[in-house]
Amino acid sequence: MKKEIKKILISVEDKTIIEGVAEFEKIFKEKIKNKELEKSVKLSRTGTFGVNTKGISIVIYPGGVLYSDLKIHDIDKILNQHILKGIPVQELMPEPISERLSEHGFNPEEAKNENRIVLSNVGKINPESIDEYITSGGYNAVKAIAEEGLEPKDIIDIIKESGLRGRGGAGFPTGLKWEITAKESSDEKYIICNADEGEPGTSKDRLILEGDPHRIIEGMIIAGYAVGAEKGYVYIRGEYKISVERVVKAIKDAYKKELLGKDILGTGFTFDIELKKGAGAYVCGEETALIESIEGKRGNPRIKPPYPGEKGLHNKPTVVNNVETLANIAPIIVNGSKWFHSFGTEDCPGTKVFTLVGDIKYPGIIELPMGVTLREIVFGFGGGIKADRGLKAIHLGGSSGAVFDKSFLDVPLDFDSVKKQGGLLGSGSVLVIDNETDMRNYLENVLLFFKHESCGQCIPCRIGTARLYDLVKKLDKNGQNDVIISNMEHLTDVMFKSSLCPLGQSLIYPVKSIFKNFGNEFK
Amino acid sequence: MTKKVKIYVDNKEILAEEGANLLQVARDSGIDIPGLCYYEKVTPTGSCRLCLVKIEGENGMIPSCTIKVRDGLKVTAFDNELEDVRKTIVELLISEHKLGCMTCDTASSCALEDLAYRYNVTVDNLPYDVKNEFEPVDDSSPVLAYDPNKCIVCGRCVKACYEIQGKGIIDFIGRGIETRIGADLGDLWGNSACDGCGECIQACPVGALFEKASQGKGRKWEIEKVETICPYCGVGCRIEVEKKGNEIVRINGVDKGPANEGRLCVKGRFGYEYEMSEERLTTPLIKEKGKFRRASWSEALDIVADRFAAIKKNYGSDSIAGLASAKCTNEENYIFQKFMRAAIGTNNVDHCARLCHASTVAGLARAFGSGAMTNSIKEFEFADCILVTGSNTTETHPVIATYIKNAVLKHGAKLIVVDPRKIDLVKYATLWLRQKNGTDVAWANGMMNVIVNENLQDGKFIANRTEGFEEFKKVIEEYTPERVEKITGIPKEKIIEAARMYAGAANSSIVFSMGITQHVTGTDNVLSLANLALLTGNVGKLYSGVNPLRGQNNVQGACDLGSLPNVYPGYQKVKDPKIKEKFEKKWHVKLDDKVGLSVVEMMNAAHEGKVKAMYIMGENPMVSDPNLNHVEEALKNLDFLVVQDIFLTETAQLADVVLPAYSSFEKSGTFTNTERRIQLLNPVLRAPEGAKEDWEIIQEISTKMGYKMHYNNQGEIMDEAADVSPIYGGIHFNRLGKKGLQWPCRDDKDPGTVFLHEGKFSRGLGHFSPVDYIPPAELPDKEYPYLLSTGRMLFHYHTGTMTRKVTALNDFEPGPYAEISPEIAKKLKIKEGESIRVSSRRGSIITKARITERVAPESVFIPFHFAEAAANKLTNDVLDPIAKIPELKVAACKVEKI
Amino acid sequence: MNVDKILKRYNSDRENLIQALHDIQDNTEGNYLRTGDLKKAADYFHMSLSEINGVVEFYSMFSKKPRGKYIIRVCQSPPCYIKGAFNVLGELKNLLGIDLNDTTKDKLFTLETTSCLGACDEAPVMSVNNIIYGKLNTEKIKNIIKHYREEKRGK
Ligand SMILES: Nc1nc2c(c(=O)[nH]1)N[C@H]1C(S)=C(S)[C@@H](COP(=O)(O)OP(=O)(O)OC[C@H]3O[C@@H](n4cnc5c(=O)[nH]c(N)nc54)[C@H](O)[C@@H]3O)O[C@H]1N2
Ligand SMILES: Nc1nc2c(c(=O)[nH]1)N[C@H]1C(S)=C(S)[C@@H](COP(=O)(O)OP(=O)(O)OC[C@H]3O[C@@H](n4cnc5c(=O)[nH]c(N)nc54)[C@H](O)[C@@H]3O)O[C@H]1N2
Ligand SMILES: Cc1cc2nc3c(=O)[nH]c(=O)nc-3n(C[C@H](O)[C@H](O)[C@H](O)COP(=O)(O)O)c2cc1C
Ligand code: SF4
Ligand code: SF4
Ligand code: SF4
Ligand code: SF4
Ligand code: SF4
Ligand code: FES
Ligand code: FES
Ligand SMILES: [Mo]
Repeated sequence: MKKEIKKILISVEDKTIIEGVAEFEKIFKEKIKNKELEKSVKLSRTGTFGVNTKGISIVIYPGGVLYSDLKIHDIDKILNQHILKGIPVQELMPEPISERLSEHGFNPEEAKNENRIVLSNVGKINPESIDEYITSGGYNAVKAIAEEGLEPKDIIDIIKESGLRGRGGAGFPTGLKWEITAKESSDEKYIICNADEGEPGTSKDRLILEGDPHRIIEGMIIAGYAVGAEKGYVYIRGEYKISVERVVKAIKDAYKKELLGKDILGTGFTFDIELKKGAGAYVCGEETALIESIEGKRGNPRIKPPYPGEKGLHNKPTVVNNVETLANIAPIIVNGSKWFHSFGTEDCPGTKVFTLVGDIKYPGIIELPMGVTLREIVFGFGGGIKADRGLKAIHLGGSSGAVFDKSFLDVPLDFDSVKKQGGLLGSGSVLVIDNETDMRNYLENVLLFFKHESCGQCIPCRIGTARLYDLVKKLDKNGQNDVIISNMEHLTDVMFKSSLCPLGQSLIYPVKSIFKNFGNEFK
Repeated sequence: MTKKVKIYVDNKEILAEEGANLLQVARDSGIDIPGLCYYEKVTPTGSCRLCLVKIEGENGMIPSCTIKVRDGLKVTAFDNELEDVRKTIVELLISEHKLGCMTCDTASSCALEDLAYRYNVTVDNLPYDVKNEFEPVDDSSPVLAYDPNKCIVCGRCVKACYEIQGKGIIDFIGRGIETRIGADLGDLWGNSACDGCGECIQACPVGALFEKASQGKGRKWEIEKVETICPYCGVGCRIEVEKKGNEIVRINGVDKGPANEGRLCVKGRFGYEYEMSEERLTTPLIKEKGKFRRASWSEALDIVADRFAAIKKNYGSDSIAGLASAKCTNEENYIFQKFMRAAIGTNNVDHCARLCHASTVAGLARAFGSGAMTNSIKEFEFADCILVTGSNTTETHPVIATYIKNAVLKHGAKLIVVDPRKIDLVKYATLWLRQKNGTDVAWANGMMNVIVNENLQDGKFIANRTEGFEEFKKVIEEYTPERVEKITGIPKEKIIEAARMYAGAANSSIVFSMGITQHVTGTDNVLSLANLALLTGNVGKLYSGVNPLRGQNNVQGACDLGSLPNVYPGYQKVKDPKIKEKFEKKWHVKLDDKVGLSVVEMMNAAHEGKVKAMYIMGENPMVSDPNLNHVEEALKNLDFLVVQDIFLTETAQLADVVLPAYSSFEKSGTFTNTERRIQLLNPVLRAPEGAKEDWEIIQEISTKMGYKMHYNNQGEIMDEAADVSPIYGGIHFNRLGKKGLQWPCRDDKDPGTVFLHEGKFSRGLGHFSPVDYIPPAELPDKEYPYLLSTGRMLFHYHTGTMTRKVTALNDFEPGPYAEISPEIAKKLKIKEGESIRVSSRRGSIITKARITERVAPESVFIPFHFAEAAANKLTNDVLDPIAKIPELKVAACKVEKI
Repeated sequence: MNVDKILKRYNSDRENLIQALHDIQDNTEGNYLRTGDLKKAADYFHMSLSEINGVVEFYSMFSKKPRGKYIIRVCQSPPCYIKGAFNVLGELKNLLGIDLNDTTKDKLFTLETTSCLGACDEAPVMSVNNIIYGKLNTEKIKNIIKHYREEKRGK
């Protein structure tokens, strides 16, 4: 009988580098050699494993056993016990989520389990190996196009039927977006993957870029084919060094396998991808600012309409999609739109990747079906409040979203339900704030962020963000809070109505919700 | 034709052109929607958000300045919600603003001040704290200052500099609340490449950008505005002069100015200080024992009349010669040449056009029958391909250059620059051909060789509209790209590419100036360019033609009105007996039928003693003529010299009598710009007491000499000129208005002519002239190893009589210099700014070295504006045999470090 | 590395501007964009100086002033704020003996703040030349600084 090869994936990323992962990896390799296990064990690198890990972490296949917070002296234990004897080392495994769920009174069976569509490969394959991606079923969607002769229109229909909505924040139906661009007639069209991820409290796109970059490339190829674009750009924020490296490698490998370039898999379809780095500007996540930035300009948002779908990059029809959106494409093409509807809610099918941050026990990234409640996320998957303080607030959807108090814990998290509550699902950031935090200080910090990130182009936002910041600092200091608060509320109203882009418009969410839900702190 | 559609703004029905700008349409029909960032002349930005409106069927508030009008649009421009938003925006602006309307020169014409008033926003009722920390004002530029504390970051200036002027000197800097405007790399404005055109100031809706020199000179309400024409170059920009009392406070471009649409260059906007200079001549001067003394008009004019009469009597009419002036009006030129021809009795009348476009007039007359720009300035913006050669357009015709840049930047036109120097336009060029000076016939023939070989010519045009093709073809056959490369130094690939580009475009236009004309082969050069246009059918159409850029503000007019030795007004030949007869009848006098002396010939004749007296009106040959040492000897050799000027110029200092004239800011009359447009002047200021208008002076001298003239005003003179010159037949002051008329304009109903030779050339068929390459007269050799070329730069004008009295212009460029190549500098160990001696066979000057790659490796370029280091001491006065233009663009020189 | 060489790696489409600026800055001692290099880049990409300057000034990763070998950027956005980002900043100031936006005398470190670095699940977070470090505490900060000081000495 052929002996099964064990695969060890080690997470190499910024945070593990400082923990000494390089050293750890070196010693691990030496020990494998010393024990003459080279033939039966394959050690390779991967990206983050996401939620639930700490420090240096590895996963061992088969079985997908996760070990976390490892020290060098743990290596022997793992090799001796797990590799040689096949017995997992319990004490090195992180606390399973199901246990946390039950701790907080949920039935783990009933609770919506983490359900990976987007992150299915993350932490399981070596992101720098195109072969592993292919072995795991990758590029099957592209192959399907080649083999089954799917027409662009068919693709658009599948995506439309799937009900997929953009994960970049606004939740715009992706199929419809593609259809608009597909219908434009133009000598050139473009696909842009928005990997600028600047919304505070969001690191889910990085996880995908680092952990499964080919998924994005595959999504872009399909998008290009569907709308008739021959060129794609991945715009990654300049700070994401490892993401950049991984995507660059992935693009290169895809070219080698003729999955990019001319006549992809004999379909006659040509698609090229280029990577562009940002250089530090939150507003460049806004699609038109991003386009300006790709064009080598200041990242000033453009007036819409025209929308990028009609006039985008170089004034040609352009689809801009978020990383997570694109990561959903290949699975949908392979598994069908019906399958996609088996996750999430009717109007928001599929999953959402949430980033859990703040005063929470287990910060991290988790993919859950749309419609999961805040309570499940915070107390279930997130393990509740750190140091068991009380929960005061949840800033949902990023800094541009609303800040909720406890009474909103049962809101299902999907685009429409959150909107109904006066907030935004946004990027899926769940920032938990415990009752040690002064909401005025918090608001000041939020406003500092916007003051710093306003592009400065339009008056309401350029000066408005600065005045809001001045005003919030005056709160509590002169006893005239009511006047100041109403000035601030009025100002955010005006900014909402008159700002040129959603950055300035969105301040209304944090400002008004904080005054509304935490008004007693400003008395 | 655009469609008219109906829209409704606040229920008011408005008929508008489809696609027009909604904000503009609303404002034009009296609905005053506020807005700060909208500027009619640039693309809308939509960033101030003051013009927000609601549109039926659309969500939220939409900036009306970004909306194109379509049928049935229903717009709410005013309701409480919109007004609340607007008021808040004004409050925000005021909260960031350093309010100082009491000392701000923009007050009362400031858009922010207006809005604050309109929305009752004051510091007291502001819901925010007032700003109290301010940044320094940047007043490092010679002409303007930028106050970041008053800047509303509307970006109008940025777009004005880029979209209108095609420069892009300024852009936003910083981000968010820190956003500002910065020049170049954000360092001081004065260290940037800003050339001071002031387009940005004109675009600024508030007092953030302002004219330094105007500060404190007068509040807007004290100011009177008068429109007139710029006194400098041939573009003929229409200016609006703001004055307080008898002092100019500020000059702006007139948006409806037909030649400039509000654009100006630094001279037109800021070069007015000379006008009020203490050095203006205020009284006639008579020289006695080598010294001037003040004299009365009657005494001075008596002397002039008597001496002219005596010399005429003793030596004959042809012993007197006159230089008319391209700085004077059409009417004054008409009177001047009439005086010379009718009162003196000679055709010895000429003016600076001789040094300038004489070869153009000769060449284009031969090829097309008329020697002027075939097209109009604004047409450049819409040409598909523009070939610029021997014109440093951005410096010498800056406003025309903006249209060329617009063509490239806005409409993707191809620009071919053929110039030995790396002029600014090279930056915008698709192709730059650097030829050796004086080899223009060769490269033009080379391009035509390629065109014919590749069959890119316009056969139909050649067949129907031209003559002489076959003979011409034989000559160009010999100019293969290989051979042309050897002569010109231009790589043959570039010649081929240029040929294809020029011949391949739908509408190609040629622009040329002194680099073509000021050669012994000037006429040949011009003929070659005409051939190129004829060969490809690129003439006689809108956007496409052959366009000599005329230099002086009224050089076109001075020529048109007959200040030339061979023609009467309207280019009617003095040798033509019928014409002579006509003028004799009109002028009631016997006229001479000999062609008179041209500029350099006059100087030579004076040198030889054949010309005994000269009357020089508004020219300064002691700086502007070639071979100055020779000119000085010539003028000193005269028995009698009269100079009529506004300053005591280098030439006037040699005069026996100096007569003080009015400047163009002080008189009416007309100038004809380079696009043949006759435009009316308006007197702006009172002239210095003691001066007189040029035409009046001449009229009095003439009358005293027995040939009576009695015009009451310049209008009457033009009526007479129109009567005798067919191309001006329809030109009368009452028809000119603010737009002027473009000749040919043959009668009172003729609307004028936008472009020439439509359907038929002035001479009938276009004429191909076979032209062979002839090298320049003097080329570098062992003793004088470098090639010397002369010309101009942006900030100064000719002999500097005017611009060198302007502080701001002197700040930009204080004194003489010579551009030398890094190669020469290295060889002679010369450092930037060091003193050098430049010498030629005719003289030598001391100047400062400016080391630059603009000039070719073995070349020197010297601007001729600086009398103390006059380029013309070095220049060669050899002449083009046909046009008699001197070869100012090529001579041999040596350079020494001192 | 020579700027002309860096520029030549790109075609002169303006699209490549920001990428080239990154490369130039990363390869310039002092981690900044020198005037002369910006002029070259402007020329190469057929832009005016003001345009290139406008771009440089817009993006917070670019600097026109010389900086240290290592640029420490401390995230100040809300999730990190919640987790004590201001303390991190304070500790770094103490440890390095410099103020915000200053550079240590040995030209090793420059201290800056930044908006969210996208590692909020690890808050508080900072980056050192784009290596991201999370879950910062006093000891970790000390270790990181030590690590870089030694790396420098090692070279
Ligand atoms: N600022 C300013 N503007 C002016 C004037 C001024 O004095 N100052 N003067 C006005 C007058 S009267 C005139 S005529 C115009 C003149 O305007 P331009 O003709 O544009 O000015 P120049 O500097 O004389 O020379 C023009 C160009 O000819 C090029 N050149 C030199 N030799 C050759 C050659 O052999 N062949 C070719 N093809 N090109 C060559 C030079 O490099 C230069 O770029 O400017 C008018 N405008
Ligand atoms: N080396 C060299 N020499 C050149 C050239 C060159 O390229 N190189 N270019 C040549 C060319 S193209 C030209 S056009 C000439 C120009 O040569 P000029 O015409 O001699 O030069 P300007 O300095 O314009 O002289 C105009 C004179 O008119 C005076 N003036 C202004 N307004 C009025 C008015 O209303 N009335 C009267 N009466 N006088 C007035 C001014 O004070 C000034 O003295 O220079 C030529 N010389
Ligand atoms: C200020 C601002 C920042 C944004 N940042 C991001 C971002 O970092 N990533 C992203 O995908 N979308 C971001 N967006 C949303 C994009 O404009 C755009 O809607 C999105 O990329 C579309 O992709 P989707 O349809 O796949 O959601 C941002 C929008 C705004 C207004
Ligand atoms: S709203 Fe803010 S970020 Fe958006 S365009 Fe206006 S100033 Fe720029
Ligand atoms: S710019 Fe306008 S508002 Fe500001 S001080 Fe001047 S006049 Fe007053
Ligand atoms: S003065 Fe002219 S060149 Fe200078 S910045 Fe203003 S518009 Fe640009
Ligand atoms: S300087 Fe004037 S035109 Fe330019 S942005 Fe400021 S306010 Fe607007
Ligand atoms: S371009 Fe000529 S006419 Fe126009 S402002 Fe300048 S000098 Fe005067
Ligand atoms: S005028 Fe329309 S937004 Fe400024
Ligand atoms: S908020 Fe600090 S990394 Fe995101
Ligand atoms: Mo001229």
